Amino acid sequence: MYGRYNPPFSVEQEGIAISVENTGEQWIYRRTLGTEDVEKIILGDEKCLIINPVEPLNTPKEITPNLLIEFEKTLLLAGGAKKKIFLTFPIEIGVFIADKGEKNLQLLDVLSLVRQKFTLYGEVSNGVVCKHWKSQIYSISPSPNPLQEGIIELTLRNSSSDWASISKVVFSAYGMKLYYAGDVFMRARMDIFNRNTAETGFELQRLSGELKSSPLKDFKSRKEAFGVYSLQKLGFVPLKFYMGWGF
Amino acid sequence: MDLDFLDNSLPIFDGTVTLGSVLKFILILSFSTFLAKILSLYLRRCLKDRVSKDAGETIIKILYYGMLTIVFFSNLRLIGINPSGFLLAGGVAGIVLGFASQNIVGNLVSGFFLMVERPIKIGDQVQISDVSGYVIDIRIISTLIRTYDGLLVRIPNQQVFTTNITNIVGHPVRRFEHTIRIRYSDDANAAIFLIKDLIEKEPFALLNPSPSVFVNELGDSSVNITVRIWAPVNEWFGIKTRILWDIKQILEENGIEIPLPQSVVHIQADSKKVPEELVAVPEKEIESVLNYEERVLA
Repeated sequence: MYGRYNPPFSVEQEGIAISVENTGEQWIYRRTLGTEDVEKIILGDEKCLIINPVEPLNTPKEITPNLLIEFEKTLLLAGGAKKKIFLTFPIEIGVFIADKGEKNLQLLDVLSLVRQKFTLYGEVSNGVVCKHWKSQIYSISPSPNPLQEGIIELTLRNSSSDWASISKVVFSAYGMKLYYAGDVFMRARMDIFNRNTAETGFELQRLSGELKSSPLKDFKSRKEAFGVYSLQKLGFVPLKFYMGWGF
Repeated sequence: MDLDFLDNSLPIFDGTVTLGSVLKFILILSFSTFLAKILSLYLRRCLKDRVSKDAGETIIKILYYGMLTIVFFSNLRLIGINPSGFLLAGGVAGIVLGFASQNIVGNLVSGFFLMVERPIKIGDQVQISDVSGYVIDIRIISTLIRTYDGLLVRIPNQQVFTTNITNIVGHPVRRFEHTIRIRYSDDANAAIFLIKDLIEKEPFALLNPSPSVFVNELGDSSVNITVRIWAPVNEWFGIKTRILWDIKQILEENGIEIPLPQSVVHIQADSKKVPEELVAVPEKEIESVLNYEERVLA
């Protein structure tokens, strides 16, 4: 389903039906998912539609830029250790309209096939609301349905000399960069400072030769996804997330 | 055109103050006000997407009034006032002005502390005294509230500062509670399971702090189940109103009903027991009562 489409077109997969039809002088965008229907009028020719995964923080409503991934089982990391694990994250599918050269992007629609749930990270008085997702911990990259789940390659680095007990990780959407081909992929890191504090962030640069030896696909073959958050005019927003209430 | 009259000293000042210098003072002040307004507009546009409205407005106000104050004091000489002398006289004038404008000064000081302490911010939903609504602006003298029914209420800052302020969106999450009444004949465990399942499917019912559903009371005509749910503060009202009806529907679909208030009256069918007032008085006794007068007279 992911890719670039020139109107008129129609695509259908896993209960999602997206189409753009010409009705005289205007174009009609239609999307159906379950009982939910979206219909929009597009005025303007020579436009194309881009469907790609976006930051999973826009449905059912954008109320927070933070994603909390809870581990199915608690993970223990030795002091000073550096390990790589794989997690899954929920997928949201963004539909953008753009000029032919994929410029002047405008978000048209966002949809998701997966469960939506929110949680609080931290205290009632000053915590942060996060989108919630539960994931197993994988030692090698899993192969989930790319319309439902993506893969995060997470590098854990324990800078302290104590064991770190990790059961959740929180990410900020402002730093997310998604790549897609047959799967949807993000590369992140978590730096543990002590028993209660850590910092998470994403790799912003294009993934390259460094990981060619890994069992994953060659990252150069993945396409960089347009994000909803990258469309916004961001000011002084932190790209990293500081986990100060434990993990 | 002859402009020499502008150089004539004004009778109320010494020789250094002329009509021209007064006009110059007014022009500088007007121009700086105009400039400060343009700068405010430009800053508002620049900061719109970068900082919160509340912080942005505070920055703009500080710059606007700061700029005007500096321009005002630095040009006082033009109208014959020495700023240092002004400061010296300010002590006496301040006391006089203070007494004359207690309320204004009180509001001003309260406004300053409101901006420093920040119990409320622009955009917050608050309740101040008996006024509830959204904070539109926190000005130097007063605070503007838009009530939920769309009225604009101006509250003097002194009143805001000295009264109880309830900030409805002060914390990121908020809890609400519903009491669900079911019949004694219904299975309370089944009702709790159905309600928990419904909460699980509701995205904005937070996983942490976790919701709680439990039998709270055995009432006169119903078993009362308490439902407590935490929700993001901006979604709190929507989920509170939506989930109550959803609970009612899911319970009814599963044969669990919300009972009407009812009382069960038990009538004891024991024929041997007769109320005291209905017990027949023995005939002899009646007779003796009837003959009481005769007996007394005899």
